[in-house]
Amino acid sequence: MHTIPMNRDQFLLEMDEILDLPAGTLRGHEKLEELQNWDSTSLITFMAMAESNNGVSISPGQIVTCSTVADLLRLAHAESSSS
Amino acid sequence: MASEATTLRSEILKALHHPIVVADILRKRQVMKRELLKQTNLVPTRIAILGGSTTTEVKSMLELFLLAQGIAPTFYESGYNRYSEDVEFENPDLWNFKPNIVLIHTTWHNISEFPELLEADGAVENRVRREVARFTSLWEKIHTELGAVIIQNNFDLPRLRPLGNLEASESFGRVNFISSLNAEFAKYGRTHSRFLINDIHYLSGQVGQAEWFRSNYWYSFHMAVSPTATVALARNVAAIVKSAYGKSKKCLVLDLDNTLWGGVIGDDGMQNLILGRDHPVGEAYLDFQRYVKSLKRRGVILAVCSKNDAENAKEGFSHPDSVLKLEDFSAFKANWDPKPENIRAIAAQLNIGLDSIVFVDDNPVERDFVAEQLPEVAVPNVGADVSSFAEVLEHEHYFEVDKLVQDDLNRSAYYSSNAERSAGEGKFSDYGEFLASLEMTAEIGSFLPVYLERITQLINRTNQFNLTTRRYTSAEVVAIAQDPGFITLYGRLGDKFGDNGLVSVLIGQILDETVQLDLWLMSCRVLKREMEFAMFDALVEQCQARGIRKIVGIYIPSKKNSMVAAHYASLGFTAIAGASEGPELWCYNVPASYSPRTHYIRRTADGLVAAPSLADDESVPSRA
Repeated sequence: MHTIPMNRDQFLLEMDEILDLPAGTLRGHEKLEELQNWDSTSLITFMAMAESNNGVSISPGQIVTCSTVADLLRLAHAESSSS
Repeated sequence: MASEATTLRSEILKALHHPIVVADILRKRQVMKRELLKQTNLVPTRIAILGGSTTTEVKSMLELFLLAQGIAPTFYESGYNRYSEDVEFENPDLWNFKPNIVLIHTTWHNISEFPELLEADGAVENRVRREVARFTSLWEKIHTELGAVIIQNNFDLPRLRPLGNLEASESFGRVNFISSLNAEFAKYGRTHSRFLINDIHYLSGQVGQAEWFRSNYWYSFHMAVSPTATVALARNVAAIVKSAYGKSKKCLVLDLDNTLWGGVIGDDGMQNLILGRDHPVGEAYLDFQRYVKSLKRRGVILAVCSKNDAENAKEGFSHPDSVLKLEDFSAFKANWDPKPENIRAIAAQLNIGLDSIVFVDDNPVERDFVAEQLPEVAVPNVGADVSSFAEVLEHEHYFEVDKLVQDDLNRSAYYSSNAERSAGEGKFSDYGEFLASLEMTAEIGSFLPVYLERITQLINRTNQFNLTTRRYTSAEVVAIAQDPGFITLYGRLGDKFGDNGLVSVLIGQILDETVQLDLWLMSCRVLKREMEFAMFDALVEQCQARGIRKIVGIYIPSKKNSMVAAHYASLGFTAIAGASEGPELWCYNVPASYSPRTHYIRRTADGLVAAPSLADDESVPSRA
């Protein structure tokens, strides 16, 4: 069974894969709008990953409020710790 | 030693097989795609996805699973919910795309009218007819105008049931209504050869309703199938496409001890094997044997590869509860040699490629050894629990077929009788004497409608005795069959041991007084039987009848067809100068007087001159 990416480093590595970036690229401060591969496919994959790993449902509306990768991490954390 | 790149690719391919971790596939899809695109010899295809909902994920996942099957798709995607308009109004982008395959990705959301409450049965039936007619008009237009194979989703079930269980029992209930629509879609599929059902009704149940449809994806993106369920959907569609391209497996090679029965026959003896209804695990082995037997009945060739003394191994099949019998197996290797060697020998004996074989063994060490030594062989990770063996084979869709034809059902018999033929071969000092003893007869003629399914199957399946390895869709085969600008020949071969079925196909394009052989193939199960001579004799006769003076043969070398490199030279063709690179061209001048090449095959039918009329099939497009 896949483990929950609660660890910040693990989460960033998974986001590297989703965005097709070399492992270790993302640090968290990156702006989503400046990431070339941040599109509907990666957004859907992020939602599916959050659901699959944390068992929680994140809506696109919540994602729209995020401006950086770290915001996505906080969203996944907040959702999983509140669930 | 495998390179780093090969190892990475094999790891990726492993991740796309059982046990699937959906999250890994979603996350790693980009790197997977990149690696899979590095494969050579990918078969190109054009797929139009006409969606009743958003199809981006369907396309992305389908691409991945097709690449894993060696098929490189290019896609056209309709706009959201434009599946009907794109066809009705002949969207030029779609028409110019010229798809080989059209996938109509509709779900229950696209049903235009559900019955009213308490509606009379007759009115409900009328609604079913109207809904089916709406789809039928699309299908017919696609067949007629685009000539593509259609893969049509049937309908899944709505997640909510306002009428509760009445939805399934009342004729106006939605579950009942959808069952009627699905039955009508299936009926259409049974009577139209280029129409295949993608059974999402089954898939949604397999995945689970709650997982199949997720309201957040529907309301946010209008995705009618959740991203995780889309993986299952894409695997299913890829299996259908794979079968249409003849890439399905042919042969199941099985270990014995703890695979077909519990226990070790050499140690425990036949009477102590765990097999049968009296033991919970024995019942699971019995059910797996039943599943294997059902595969054999539908044409999958069975073989045994076991580390055992041969006599001990054979005795296992005399167990009173054994559903499988010795005669169910076309090849039987029970000895102490390494299994990869035995599997190679099985492939040679049956005259099939290693890539046609699936190997099932409960022992992970043997599985790994075979997978490492014979990467072409499919070695599913079946685990050690017999109760899951059949399920794993099902999930992998190894033996998916787009149509069952009589030749499929007879396949095991062909291969078993081939073993008898080979045994007979040793009794003769002269090979000609052996061929004469077979009392062979051949039926060779222009393509007939009744054989078109089998011809398409062979075209898309045959790799070794195949001069050009050109693939044709069934629509293209139908079009060629009725085009007077082509010479088409099929060949069936029979002998005293039985019917080998339709085993050879030839397509030649007539250009003035020359015929250019675009395709010539033959099943390897009739190698060295002079069938290629019989086909050539028939071709020459047809050329003479049509006033054709020259035959141009094409040989396109591939990784698998080196056995026919000297084919044209052996028939007396001369190489055309200047053709040193790329496809080789060979020329044969048709003589006025010709002596047949075959001495051991008697022709029983010809019908060689007039191409059959397929005018009754109005959906056939003319070939550009």
